[in-house]
Amino acid sequence: MSASDTRAPPVRATGQTATKAGPRRTLLPWAAGPAWFLAALVTWRWPDADDFPDTSQLAALFLAVGLGLTAAAALRRLSARAPWAIALGLGFAAWEIAQAKLLWLPRPFFGTPQDLLDVFLTDWKRLGDSLLHSLGLLAVGYGIGAVLGVAVGVGLGRSPRFRYWVRPLIRLVGPLPPVALLPLAFVLIPSGRLASEALLALAAGFPTTILTWSGVAAVDPAYYDVARTMGARNRFLVLRVALPAAMPQIFVGLFMGLGVSFATLVVAEMLGVKSGLGFYMQWAQGWAAYPNMYAALLMMSLMCTGLVTLLFKVRDRVLSWQKDGLKW
Amino acid sequence: MVTNRPLGLQLTHIDHGYTIGGTFTPVLDDISLTIAPGEFVALLGPSGCGKSTLLRLIAGLEPPHGGAILAEGTPITGPGPDRIVMFQDPTLYPWRTVRGNVALGHDIAGRKDPASVEAAIELVGLKGFERAWPHQLSGGMAQRAALARALVNDPRLLILDEPLGKLDSLTRLTMQTELHRLWQDRGFTAIMVTHDVEEALLLATRIIVFSPRPARIIGDLPIDLPPHRHRDDPRLLDLRKNILVQLGHSADW
Repeated sequence: MSASDTRAPPVRATGQTATKAGPRRTLLPWAAGPAWFLAALVTWRWPDADDFPDTSQLAALFLAVGLGLTAAAALRRLSARAPWAIALGLGFAAWEIAQAKLLWLPRPFFGTPQDLLDVFLTDWKRLGDSLLHSLGLLAVGYGIGAVLGVAVGVGLGRSPRFRYWVRPLIRLVGPLPPVALLPLAFVLIPSGRLASEALLALAAGFPTTILTWSGVAAVDPAYYDVARTMGARNRFLVLRVALPAAMPQIFVGLFMGLGVSFATLVVAEMLGVKSGLGFYMQWAQGWAAYPNMYAALLMMSLMCTGLVTLLFKVRDRVLSWQKDGLKW
Repeated sequence: MVTNRPLGLQLTHIDHGYTIGGTFTPVLDDISLTIAPGEFVALLGPSGCGKSTLLRLIAGLEPPHGGAILAEGTPITGPGPDRIVMFQDPTLYPWRTVRGNVALGHDIAGRKDPASVEAAIELVGLKGFERAWPHQLSGGMAQRAALARALVNDPRLLILDEPLGKLDSLTRLTMQTELHRLWQDRGFTAIMVTHDVEEALLLATRIIVFSPRPARIIGDLPIDLPPHRHRDDPRLLDLRKNILVQLGHSADW
């Protein structure tokens, strides 16, 4: 959307603001490359304050990004993101100067850009492995929780007898932070992995259940009447009426469940599971390997935001019928 | 589209009511009525008297507390696609396009018949809007889509629960003409609840007048006028006066 606004030709007739914004918008993308060239130059020519690894690789990386951005500017592919690209280049240059060249912040808690790069260059295998483990754990636990949550929520919304028996259990167990069950789960379930998956399912399941229930309970009874007069049976009413009608609420539940799952995952990996990004961070902290911790943190952040983005993409597809929606 | 034979109905001594907040409220009181196949019956009565409840019973959405409803001699035990209801609100599913909404009856029956869906959409004048979402339609267009959704099932009985009640007056006039044309072309039986005496007089072959709740039948007027009626026909004005007196509005005339 933003790309199309900015690509539109400047409108002359609408007055000063449009003509003023015109030339600045067209020049801005060309500044992104030089910002990164500056970062590369500073990294390369200004001597390091200490013996840091990979300084020349970092300079080469900045240079490569700068070249890439310049190419993007030439191809007119960089318009809306240009301010961010410039700010990031200048930010890296500032970080490089402040820490690698001047050592303003106390070590080892604050690293240099080349420290971070070094972690990715030397320890990428273990980081990648940890990421895959975390993702695997999440996929199974969250997946089971999401499916069960929707099923239980529909049951609660549609069947009084199901509601009679299940509601008290949900009210007792649901609000409990899944992390509180962690010590018990590791004792009761022999496999740490299985225990974590169960807790992740619980973490994802509770918000999904409640919001599915609320969505199904709020379905306009007239929607059922319409389908029933055409001869619809219960199966159609649940799968083709109640579920799609409740879908906006269900996605709120899935989003909330994803957030609780992230928290549960990290704690489970720090306390019990001997793999994954949480475990890696715990290990890095034990060895005072702060750059490793930052690297793991960055990976985790990318993983979480990636999964949230994925969820929103699915949501935008499924709920394309809605008038408007939040744009993630 | 194949046109089914119109459905005849016999209602014998129907009683019905609702329990709200612990107290029982009778809604229908000993309603007996025979509707011949192909009739267009308008149900008129004060607001909240129970006309819509009677329609729900005929549709089979609820069983009556007392009495029996027979469709050609067989008791109605539940809803069925030969008796389609059109409600006051279009109640289109917002997650289905116009085409998807019109195809609802086919989806429920597990039948694939895209040609009849397209034909119904064209019949109500929504060609070109097949892929529109309900929130993109005006009130009149949404009600047309609901009409197409009903017609695609080729109902033998069309149950109209004040379907034009919320439309603006011009759209309403157009839709009245179209409903009338459809009823003539397709030959289904129609039962329509309305608050609009003029609408009833223009469309119906027979008008049933109800008392305030609990509803009893206080008037049963055949309208022996040619199908193409003019709003200013003096005979309609006489009938209108007569009905308004039955509804207790003589002083307003």
